[in-house]
This record gives sequence, structure tokens and C-alpha cells, in this order.
Amino acid sequence: MATITVDGKEIYAKDGSVLIEELLANDINIPHFCYHPALGKDGNCRMCMVEIEGKKRPQIACDTPVSDGMIIRTKGENINRVKRQILELELINHPIDCPICDQAGECSLQNYYMDVGLYDSRLDTPKNKKRKHTDLGANVMLDQDRCVLCTRCVRFTKNITKTHELGVVVRNDHSYISTFPGTKLSNPYAMNVIDLCPVGALTSKDFRFKQRVWFLKPEVAICDGCSRGCSINVDHNREKYKDDIVYRYRPKYNKEVNGYFICDYGRLSYKKENDNRLKNAYIRGMESEFEYAILKLERLLKRYNSKTLLLISPNLSLEEIYRLKKLAQKIDAQINGFDENFDENFGDDFLRKSDKTPNRKSIELLNIKNTKEDLQEQIKNKEFVLFIGREDMQTVENLDFDGSIGVMTYKDFKEKNKPDIVVPIVSHTGRAGTFINCDGFVQFSSCEIKRDMQSVKILDFLEIILNDGVTECEKVWSSGLNKEEFLNSISLSMIKSKSIKIEIK
Amino acid sequence: MGIKIVPRYGNTLKDKLYLPAIFGGMKTTISHFTKNLRDTTNIKTQCYPEVGPIDITDRYRGVHRLTHREDDSVRCVACFMCSTACPAECIFIEATQRKDGVDEKMPKKFEIDLLECVFCGGCVEACPCDAIRMDTGIFTFIAQKREDFVLNKEQLLANKSLGEEK
Ligand code: SF4
Ligand code: SF4
Ligand code: SF4
Ligand code: SF4
Ligand code: FES
Repeated sequence: MATITVDGKEIYAKDGSVLIEELLANDINIPHFCYHPALGKDGNCRMCMVEIEGKKRPQIACDTPVSDGMIIRTKGENINRVKRQILELELINHPIDCPICDQAGECSLQNYYMDVGLYDSRLDTPKNKKRKHTDLGANVMLDQDRCVLCTRCVRFTKNITKTHELGVVVRNDHSYISTFPGTKLSNPYAMNVIDLCPVGALTSKDFRFKQRVWFLKPEVAICDGCSRGCSINVDHNREKYKDDIVYRYRPKYNKEVNGYFICDYGRLSYKKENDNRLKNAYIRGMESEFEYAILKLERLLKRYNSKTLLLISPNLSLEEIYRLKKLAQKIDAQINGFDENFDENFGDDFLRKSDKTPNRKSIELLNIKNTKEDLQEQIKNKEFVLFIGREDMQTVENLDFDGSIGVMTYKDFKEKNKPDIVVPIVSHTGRAGTFINCDGFVQFSSCEIKRDMQSVKILDFLEIILNDGVTECEKVWSSGLNKEEFLNSISLSMIKSKSIKIEIK
Repeated sequence: MGIKIVPRYGNTLKDKLYLPAIFGGMKTTISHFTKNLRDTTNIKTQCYPEVGPIDITDRYRGVHRLTHREDDSVRCVACFMCSTACPAECIFIEATQRKDGVDEKMPKKFEIDLLECVFCGGCVEACPCDAIRMDTGIFTFIAQKREDFVLNKEQLLANKSLGEEK
């Protein structure tokens, strides 16, 4: 342990650790471009200068080891003058086109300049012009003019994905970022460079010009793209006179699960929240009134009772699955979670997993049958199959089932005349819930975006039948879920702040 | 903060009788009436709306317009500064990629709802590109339906500044 004094305040740090890490960990504002916790230091931007007593010149915090008794100043006119000069150099060839830059509002260069900028330009020679809006591939747009050459993107493709697509070419102030001639940026994690880039040099082609970032409201969720269950920020906004729309997913730092990154597939999976949504209820292929369809489905379940099979999706949350199991017990129906959503080509050794559902573990841990053989057995003598969170009717058709079908899903699908009843439910970001990932991390997805779209939450629907006033996750936990053996050391409030691993036999 | 004591008038007997003041007022009215009757050329009122005002100043905030570049294309770059600043939230913009090489970004849709607008001029102040102005001098707008008060991009671009029209 070392004690260092920063701006007159004592903080404790690990001896020999990197100064910038300790400063950032203590919420001390320290401007930096090239340093990133996932990529380490590079020492090229000089933005992280601090004054250290006993040293003649300011030092870069990202390459200074902590030693006991250090006295550091991060504020004051001396160090501000240094920062101002560095920023002036950064801006010599910068186009200053914030009005048309998607990064504006979350740009480090903008923020630092607002703090200690020079404001009056002293430049009277023309600026170096490089290439603007260049498509790098993988949905990444490069604006070479805006680049501060911090090489974060280069180091990401070098150290993290090891695909080496990006590099710095040409010397001195003509340097720019580029791919090799004729090649494109292409790897399943490429869009992370957009978040890594501290300025607007790398922006998303997908998000391009859709919203200004200061209108977006971030919400925290778990990605449902595969069984890794990465932590994400869901950025959404409700424009005046319009419905709420999800505009993008961004990685949320989670030490246990995904670190600082997510995959491009997961990042772009926000689209299913807006597009191709089931907007109406249908009864025998005819559009029906929403409330009527819900009551009708309730009646169907009561009519078929023990002749019912609930075919549930591993995309549902732990709370929903637990309540569905309760429903099956109450009406003496069968419940099954068989689902074939595996893709061997999807999984890799970084984040992506071949199991493309977020919550298969919960089905297993709640002892719900989920094999094809079980399904074959359970479907015998059944007259009604209710699909919940899924619409893959061929699964039971292949088993020669010819009774009634009910579907509760958020996705629009083609053969809406086949089921007796179709009811739209809220999508992943519309309801909160718990998910258990491939490694047994129990995680809470708190994002609950309210939409105008007609749709019902599964917990609300089940409450109509079970009639016990349990509609929120808290109540599901206290009504018995917390007594499940695999959750014995965990409470809902614990997983709200961090992912917790459970032992899985 | 100091308190300013305002003197109150109207407590004298003469004021309380009212009639002296009424006759005083009638005297002024009748003197103007006879003066104007003798010379109709110098009347200060206007026959609005047949005759419009001629004394609209340059600073008058009328209906908005979108300005043009030197090559006559739209100047606005759809940065959303105006709609961010707008207290009435009555500016509706949709941005798109600009393809003619002049710039990167431009508005696909740019609408102002005049019924919601409070004519504060915040949008003009906020614009970093001098792309929106309220110098048209248009102070009256009439329409049949609510929707017709929502000006679209083409209408805003077609509005001229008062100076240009003179
Ligand atoms: S493109 Fe962005 S991340 Fe890459 S070097 Fe330039 S500023 Fe850094
Ligand atoms: S690795 Fe899986 S959970 Fe993570 S972002 Fe990709 S699809 Fe989503
Ligand atoms: S004048 Fe004021 S209220 Fe009207 S559009 Fe501009 S900013 Fe909005
Ligand atoms: S009018 Fe001006 S402030 Fe409004 S979007 Fe266009 S450029 Fe931006
Ligand atoms: S962050 Fe320290 S030199 Fe770039």
C-alpha cells in the first residue's frame, strides 16, 4: 500500500500500480485519449499530464508507477496551461465539425476543450485535409480529419481481436488510420472500436444521423443474443408524438462477464425491439381486440386444463419461467423448454456462445424438461399447445400434433391463421427480469421501456389466472422463487448491483 | 431588496365625483374628432387588414425561414441545436446523409409547428450555421386546418427575408 496526496487529499493506492488507474478509480477527472483500461497505456497523446512534486516537468499519469508519498496536482493554472497547449496541437488539423458529428455530446476532445480550451485560434495556415466519411466495413465509418491518432482502435484489432486490420500510415501530421488497401475491417467485434474511439473519428454507420446523443436515455439490460448475457446500455428515446424507440445498444462494463466489449451481433440485435413487431392480437387468423383476446386465451387455458402443454422459450426471464411452472402446476398442464436455437458457427473463444438463448440455464435449474424426447412424451393426448415467447409451430407439427395452438410472442410471423389465438407480448427491453448465463452468473436486466404498442407482460397475464397479486420481480422472488435451492445465497437486491456466480452441478 | 412605495392617486373629492374626469375625457375626444374631420390625411390609425404595417423593424421576430448557401442549396446541417434549444419543442427534424458533396449531413424533414411556437427566437440564437432566421416579417398566418400551420422544409426554404422582398 502507498499513500499519495492528490490535490491536497490523501488517497490509498497499490504500490507500483499505474497512477492513472488509481486516479480514475478515485473519481479524479484526468483527461486521456490513448490510455484505456482494456488496452493499457501507449503514451502517445500526452493528455494525461499531472504535476508531481520533485519532478521538473509534468508527467503522464498513464505511465507513472505509484510510489509512497507522491504529491500530485491535477488542477491549477500550471497544468491547465500544459493541457491547453496539447489540445491546441490536437486541433491544428481538426475540422471542428461538431454540428454534423455523431460523437458530439460524448466526445472526449469536446469535453476537455470545454474545460481548458484556448478558444481563440492562432492558426493562419490552411488545415491538412484528409478523407472524411470513409466506410471501413463492419458498420464503422472513419473520418480521418477528426482522428487524434491515439491508436486505441489499432491496439484493439492488434491485442483483443488479433485480426490486425487497422494501422497508422504516413508520417507526421499527414498520418492517418487506415486498413490495408483492398481490405476491410471485418471481425465479429469490430464495432467496439466505435466506443473505444474517444472522438468522432470512428462512428457507427448503423446509428449515423439517427439521433443526437443528448436526447437518448440510457437503461441497463442484459443482451439476449446468446447465453453469455453481456451487460449492455440500452439507449432509447421517445420523440414528441411518437412511440419510444431503441436506437442502439452499447457495452456496459462488467468485470465478471464481458469486460468492456460486446459482439456486433448482440450490438445490432436492438433492431428486433423496434422492427417486425407483432402489433395486434389474432383469433383464428382474424385481427381481434386486444383485451378480448387476452380473456379468450385465459378461457382456453381453463377449458383445456390438463390437456395443455406450455412450450416455453429460453428467452424468457427466470421470473417468467418460474411463474409459468406455477401455472402448469395449478392447471395440471405439462411444461417444456425444448429449443433448438444453437449455432455452432456462432460461438468463439472470446464472448460469443453457440447457445443463442440467454436463459437456458434457468429452465434447467428449475427442473423443467427440455429435450425432444420429453416433448414427444409430454405432447401425447394433448389438445392445446401454448407457445410462450416463441412462434416455431413446426416444432410440434413435426411431432404430428394437430390440436389447437396458441402463440404469445413479440415477433411478427407469417402463418398467423394457423394458431387459434395469437397475443402480442412485450419484447426483451420492455420488461425487467433475471437471466442466468452460460457460466452460472445470475444477472438482472432492469430495462423496462414502456411502449404505446399493444402488448402484455407475461407476468401480468399470469396474474390474471393465478390471481395472487404477483406481477413484479420482487414479488415473484418473495413468493417462493427465493426458496429455490440454487438461489439460496442470493437475493434480488444483490444481483441488481452485480452479477453473482452460482455453483452448477 | 428595497421596497418602492408607489403613491396612490384618486383619493381627492374631485376624483371621487368622477364627472369632472368624464367631461375632461369627452373634451379630448371631441377635439380630436373635429380635428380629424377637418383634415383626414393625418389620421394615425390604419385600415388594417387592407393596409398592412410599414414600420416592422429588422429585429422583429416573424415566421421562420431556412436560409440558403451561395449555391442556393439548404444551409441547415440538421445538427438539432435549434430543436434542443426550443422551449416549445415544436421543431421536428429528421437528418439524412447529404449526397451532393457540399456537406455530409442535411435535414430530410424540417418542420416547425407555428401553433406551438412561442416566437422566442431561441432557435435563431442556437443555430451554429445561421441556417434559420425569423426575419421574414410575416406576422400573420391563416389556415383552415391545424396541420396547415406546420411549415415543412420546402415552405421554410421558400420564405424570404423582409429585406429581400422590399
Ligand atoms: S480513429 Fe479514433 S481510436 Fe483510432 S486512432 Fe483515431 S482517434 Fe484513436
Ligand atoms: S456475446 Fe452474446 S450476449 Fe454478448 S453481445 Fe454478443 S450476442 Fe449478446
Ligand atoms: S421561436 Fe422559440 S418556440 Fe419558436 S421554434 Fe424557435 S425556439 Fe422554438
Ligand atoms: S437550423 Fe441550424 S440549428 Fe437547426 S438543425 Fe439546422 S443547422 Fe442546426
Ligand atoms: S493517456 Fe497518457 S499519454 Fe495518452
